Amino acid sequence: MSEIREVEKARGFSLFWRTMWARAYPRIIGTTREKSWAFFDTILPLMSTVSYVFVYRAINAPEEYIGFVVVGGAMTAFWLNVLWSMASQLYWDKDMGNLELYVLSPGPMMAILLGMAVGGLVMTGTRAAAILIVCSLLFRVTYQTGSLLLLLAIFTLTMAALYGMGMMFASVFLASGREAWHLSNLLQEPIYLVSGFYFPVRALGFWVATFASVIPLTLGLDAMRQLLFAGGPSLGFLSVRTETGILAVSAVIFIAAAHVMLRKLEEKGRRDGRLIERRR
Amino acid sequence: MTAIADRILNIPFVRRSDALRTFVVAAWLGWQIESNWADPFLFAIYSLARPIASVLILVVMYAVITDGAMEQPIFSYIYLGNALYILVSSVITGVSWAVIDDREHYRTMKQLYTAPLDGYAYLMGRGVARMLIGTISVLITIGFGLIAFHLPIRLATIDWGLLLLSTALGVASLAAMGLMLGSLTMMLARHFWAVGEMVAGSLYLFSGAIFPLEVLPPWLRPLGFVFPVTYWLEAARRALLGPQALGFPTLAHFSDWQLVGILSGMTAVLIVVSGFFYRWALHQAKEKGLIDMETAY
Amino acid sequence: MQPELLTGRKAYDETVSTTGGDGMNETLAIETRDVSRIYRLRGPRHKDDPKEIVALKDVSLEVRRGELFGLLGPNGAGKTTLIKILATLLLPTSGEAFVDGLNVVTEMQEIRRRIGMVSGGETSGYGLLTVEENLWMFARFYGLDNRTARERINMMLEVVGLTDRKRTKISDLSTGLRQKMNFVRGFVSDPHIVFLDEPTLGLDVTAAREVRSFVRQWLQDHPDRTILLTTHYMAEADELCDRLAIIDRGHVLACDTPTNLKRRLQREAIFRLRVGPLGPKPRRDEMIESVPGVRQVQVAEKNGHTDLSLILEREDVLPEVLAHLTRRGSNLISLEKREPTLEDVFIDMVGRGLDVDTSHRVDQDHE
Repeated sequence: MSEIREVEKARGFSLFWRTMWARAYPRIIGTTREKSWAFFDTILPLMSTVSYVFVYRAINAPEEYIGFVVVGGAMTAFWLNVLWSMASQLYWDKDMGNLELYVLSPGPMMAILLGMAVGGLVMTGTRAAAILIVCSLLFRVTYQTGSLLLLLAIFTLTMAALYGMGMMFASVFLASGREAWHLSNLLQEPIYLVSGFYFPVRALGFWVATFASVIPLTLGLDAMRQLLFAGGPSLGFLSVRTETGILAVSAVIFIAAAHVMLRKLEEKGRRDGRLIERRR
Repeated sequence: MTAIADRILNIPFVRRSDALRTFVVAAWLGWQIESNWADPFLFAIYSLARPIASVLILVVMYAVITDGAMEQPIFSYIYLGNALYILVSSVITGVSWAVIDDREHYRTMKQLYTAPLDGYAYLMGRGVARMLIGTISVLITIGFGLIAFHLPIRLATIDWGLLLLSTALGVASLAAMGLMLGSLTMMLARHFWAVGEMVAGSLYLFSGAIFPLEVLPPWLRPLGFVFPVTYWLEAARRALLGPQALGFPTLAHFSDWQLVGILSGMTAVLIVVSGFFYRWALHQAKEKGLIDMETAY
Repeated sequence: MQPELLTGRKAYDETVSTTGGDGMNETLAIETRDVSRIYRLRGPRHKDDPKEIVALKDVSLEVRRGELFGLLGPNGAGKTTLIKILATLLLPTSGEAFVDGLNVVTEMQEIRRRIGMVSGGETSGYGLLTVEENLWMFARFYGLDNRTARERINMMLEVVGLTDRKRTKISDLSTGLRQKMNFVRGFVSDPHIVFLDEPTLGLDVTAAREVRSFVRQWLQDHPDRTILLTTHYMAEADELCDRLAIIDRGHVLACDTPTNLKRRLQREAIFRLRVGPLGPKPRRDEMIESVPGVRQVQVAEKNGHTDLSLILEREDVLPEVLAHLTRRGSNLISLEKREPTLEDVFIDMVGRGLDVDTSHRVDQDHE
């Protein structure tokens, strides 16, 4: 028998890294390739943000609230991305026949999910930035620039927890099959409401705000508002320090939960034979 | 539903008219496709959770600023505008979505356009189911407002004539706009369904749905006056609220019947224009071979 | 069934010298021992008891390194189930399976580094990426470095004749071109063992021929690699495979080289008859099968005449058959004696043609 000539293939962290960036690639390149798509993805949240700004204007709200809506509106782009392009993605991938190939490849599924998250973050980051810049200029929002480093840290933690949650949802949604589409719909406006995307979450009362804190954007948004606006701290739910701590813990929990659920999902898929492959 | 459709189709003048027959069959088909809305889980999501959450966002925004002064006329203005607006998006996107649904999901576009049916009436008919489901959401949202926030609507004082007439005209104009978007979609890739959402979003912003047009910068205000939705929402608010609705200056100088007149004119123009636009778009789609394209990514 | 027949050792007389850690023969690329797979399917109502569908029953097979081994059977026979078990996508309900000496249940991660899979009618990949980008993405999932990935992609695109389309978005590819891309994807990671599941499904004659020639060429260039192919196209199996297992309703009925399988029917006489219309379906005792010496009959009605495919125990049974047809008022149009094909082997073993779907309605996904 002749010797098998091996092509060198990475293992361990190197394989994880390569898999992650390979999966992030379609998302990052997609932004430049489907420009009209990116346009709609930006313009839709932009328009609702503008509408809410005018509602505040109509009821003579203090200017701070305009800033609250603008920041909240920009963050809706991330929530939509997590719902439609993270949570539902494994389901779409199954539908397209990609999931089977992902599972079949030695690249870890966690790396694939993380790649989706990184790609989604880059893609959505540009859209959120566009909403933020356009609305800030349009409505002359003034920000205070006290602790930029802390702001950046909170944003990073929020995104880690949020996309960790998205990674966890991906397994949940995949297991829920065709209901995934409806679940994403269910988690749209109701989450805008309870997470306080357009008003300080404190307005909903302690218990609702606490319950809503499961969604990392609730506390992330609240903390960022406290840092960005002069009147922010007086309207904040918890102290920035507490919120930062909770976000850090959430990030770890969600990512760990995503890992466990993926493993369970794959086990179940292999046992039942119907979770991974495309149903024709 | 099938029995009702059957009965309508047996009416002689319906049977004889291509357009009416197509409309009824398409409405029946749309209803069959959307019939899962009655599933309790889906009903809870689409007819309860989403519309009520979206109106509650505005309620909380309002309450935070005004310390819960729900008796102010602006509250009813915002609440009712948002509730009625559910119909705007469901009618516009209902008609335009039918094109993508038939083309890319059910893949029946080829069969439809080679059958002796009236395509315009077909698309209009396909939108009926979503309109009915949207109407249910509107009623639920208004009912919720009556109970939870004591909206000042009294059954005895509602101007039913104005409400029904303006709503019929409003819905017809929206359907015509949806049809134009559907026609546009015939020539475009799948993700252009967002065009429908975008138009619905613009109408939300420019038609005085949740704030009076005076709040907009002066250079944007004229946009609001070219959309029939602006006049429908004003007429419907007046019919439901009575004199309280007149507290906002945007269209206060128009009488109820002037509003209906303007709305009728705009609707008639839109229906005619959408008919021409549909034929042009269909021709373009056939010329470019796009009638049965699939754009799944 | 004789074990010798199942493993085809008569055809391959190389001696086995070493065994792996799990007791697997190291010269084998694939080995299954009494593998069974049962699906438990729920009815539309949750209260319904799950229904058990046996997709595979005690399947024992050995595939040697360097072989192109075929699984031949109708839809629903269990071919895809077996491939899924070997490709680590599905667990066997009982039995053991080894791929490249590794246990499919406990060593799946290592197996995945060594295998590739291509299925017919695949629509994988992202439509907005180009052919090259999609392939690069999958190559990276297998841990290839950038340079190697690009070199291998270019080389393989050249082999399948897709070089000029490498910058085309895959949403713009025809079915045939897309399947060629899938082939490159399946082979780009330099797998030891490749599973091809109905790879020519839905392809036109030219594209299918190109795919087959690619497979042959690859094995010629890599004599130490192995391919497991499932198909229900007899000619494809006959043309490509070193050895074949005939599988039906989850059971392996025979396993041998195509030549040896066909040789089993050499004693029988095989005829193709075209006759006039046979008229209404006769009573059981008036059917052609009732003629002594007739082993199998396949009947196909076509444009006012009937094609009969007959396997007879001896040639001298034919006059009896013709007399029977005359009694039924049918006239002979043409008659041809021919060599046995794999289809004849299959019909002889199973009692029906390969184009019959043997799966139950509910388990069509689990063939």
